Amino acid sequence: MNEMMESVNTNFDPFVLPFSIGLVFLFGVVLYRYFKWFFELPFSARFQFGKKIFSWRTLNAVRECIEECLIHKSVWRRNPLLGYMHMSFALGWFLLIVVGKLETSAYIGDLVNPPYLHVFFRFFYPEESFSFHRGFNFAFLMDFLLIFVLSGLLLAIFKRVQSRVLGMKKTTKHTTGDRVAMSVLWLIFPARLLSESITCGLYQAEPLPTWLGNFMTHGLGEGLRHAFGVETLAYLELPAWWLYSIALGVFFAAMPYSRYMHIFTEIPYIFLKNYGIRSTEEPTSMDHFQLQACSCCGICIDPCQLQSAAGIGNVQSVYFIRDRRYGMLTDAVTDNCLMCGRCEVKCPVHLDLMNLRQNSRTAREGELAHNRYGYLYGADRSQGNGKIGYFAGCMTLLQPAVLESMRKIFEASSDRVWWADKEGGVCCGRPLKLSGELQAARRLMDYNVELFRKHEITTLVTSCPICLKIFKEDYGLEDIEVLHHSQYILRRIEEAKLTVVGTDTQLAYHDPCELGRGLKIYKEPRKLLSKVAFVQKFKQAKKNALCCGGSLANLQLSAPQQRAIAADAARIYAQKGAELLVTACPQCKDSFKRDSPIPVRDLAEVIAERLVVSKRDLPENIGVS
Amino acid sequence: MKNWGYTISKPRVIDLNANDREKSGALQAVEPYLRSCIGCGNCTATCTAGTITSFNIRKLQTLFRRGEFEGLRAEIDKCMLCGKCRMVCPRGINTRKMIVTIKRLLDQNPKNDRL
Repeated sequence: MNEMMESVNTNFDPFVLPFSIGLVFLFGVVLYRYFKWFFELPFSARFQFGKKIFSWRTLNAVRECIEECLIHKSVWRRNPLLGYMHMSFALGWFLLIVVGKLETSAYIGDLVNPPYLHVFFRFFYPEESFSFHRGFNFAFLMDFLLIFVLSGLLLAIFKRVQSRVLGMKKTTKHTTGDRVAMSVLWLIFPARLLSESITCGLYQAEPLPTWLGNFMTHGLGEGLRHAFGVETLAYLELPAWWLYSIALGVFFAAMPYSRYMHIFTEIPYIFLKNYGIRSTEEPTSMDHFQLQACSCCGICIDPCQLQSAAGIGNVQSVYFIRDRRYGMLTDAVTDNCLMCGRCEVKCPVHLDLMNLRQNSRTAREGELAHNRYGYLYGADRSQGNGKIGYFAGCMTLLQPAVLESMRKIFEASSDRVWWADKEGGVCCGRPLKLSGELQAARRLMDYNVELFRKHEITTLVTSCPICLKIFKEDYGLEDIEVLHHSQYILRRIEEAKLTVVGTDTQLAYHDPCELGRGLKIYKEPRKLLSKVAFVQKFKQAKKNALCCGGSLANLQLSAPQQRAIAADAARIYAQKGAELLVTACPQCKDSFKRDSPIPVRDLAEVIAERLVVSKRDLPENIGVS
Repeated sequence: MKNWGYTISKPRVIDLNANDREKSGALQAVEPYLRSCIGCGNCTATCTAGTITSFNIRKLQTLFRRGEFEGLRAEIDKCMLCGKCRMVCPRGINTRKMIVTIKRLLDQNPKNDRL
């Protein structure tokens, strides 16, 4: 024990203080926050944590931590150079710490030593690199790791100038605080190289020529000594180590208040995520973990059509998260999002970006007036009495062609249909929910549920994916099967209740956001359309489909901005020479129709046009467009 | 006094100078396209809530812009934000943004809260 104290005391220099104080501060703040956030989680979430901590999920989380926090697998997939840049910082720095600790412990023969000892190891034990202690060349490994990190640093600087080379059209515009933290981070590794090289250059000149450091620090040390002489190096040695220590200390102090909080937060986030704890539509403490796990990498900027087509550059998920994290979120940012989910599928940290946006909106909901929507009751204008209910949805009511097509299809399949809202119904509630009024939306939902139950339907068909999403996710219609019209029509064709005639029309199918990314219904519409036409393949399809810009989730967009997005998307879908742009959402159809270079149809219209109802409709007699 | 069943109607003169039009300015600053409204009434004709009740979005925004707030807060709560009005507006006014903004502006002043 005494021996250890002695060795620690002899290996101390005041320059280690900025680093040590910064480190203690950092861990104090980080641990305090994690415990606070964890205990603020809803009881059910903490219960789940306790239940699942001893399961394979924990191992899975460890694997994911290594893959994502250190190797950055998701970023690699996007762009190898960008992946390498992120990996060199994360894995490089991590290994510098681990190998540095092993090197120190092996050399002094004691595992217990203060953190500063291995961080400033070359200062205290410059001779170690010459000793090949226990036959292992630690110095080589450390130099190699340092050059690994420095190569990433060069790429990071290069990315500021030429981001396209690293696969990013736009990079994040950071706040001043984040820029300071970033500059300090970028200073750390050159400062380490400089101070280690000076020490090596200085001591390898003494009486016997020795080889200190390794390929990089040795060479640079020699160079510096030859250029400036031993005396200058002796003057510079301590200031260089002070600089290194101060850079570390300042970075550590800035970390909890900057985007670099993500370095640690991604770890608890990955564990919580693996235990099934996610951000919800209502704000919870999990949001803290998510917001702080965002590294502000800016990968979400390029997929955002508000940026690429409408030129809006301050509302993307990275800026939304930044503003929310620093408490400067405005409605203009919160509400200016299509919630199309294109950024969510690209996020390398797999954050619940849609739920974070949603619960920011929910958070401002006030008390609900007790009589709000009291007028709904007695508003039943439904028609028919079939077991199959058809809920057109507000948007479909403004697309008479879709409504008429659905009527034809129901008639052709001889289904008796209960028309829920043909003569005016009540909104499904999703637009209100998206605007943050969850309780108000609940009133509309309760009304509709009661209506569905009153008419004893067993199947509910809708041609509006917006309605479909809320029916499936919030209505709790366990005993009623909820179908999108594409699913319903496909089923009827497969049951041979409907006959369609195939044509060689080229179609571009557009996946509506709520149907595709929202509900993962990609297969049925394609399968259905391929029965009557040729469906073209696009890069911007399925989970990478473009938004029409008309999303009801956006409360801010002006008409010209909305049209710019629609026109841009329609142009992309039309570029392979399709004759028709087919979508499966009345809102998308409306958005596209004005600016699309080719005619726009709903999938129901396409099918209805190609229905074989009687002999007259057989291929030889039909002139299908 | 004997009640003959006759009353004196409240004067229906709208004195725009006396009305508080600050909120109207704020609304038009947030949604400038509102200035291009031609009052065609498409929004009202297509309104989901309007088919069930007397809810009238054209009237509502006209009253708000004139600074006549009486009863507006409760009235605007009838809107379901379904967005049909936006889809049919020939001037491309973001009517949903307009409604949400009117609500927020009315709520800023506790005097008008849930009149």
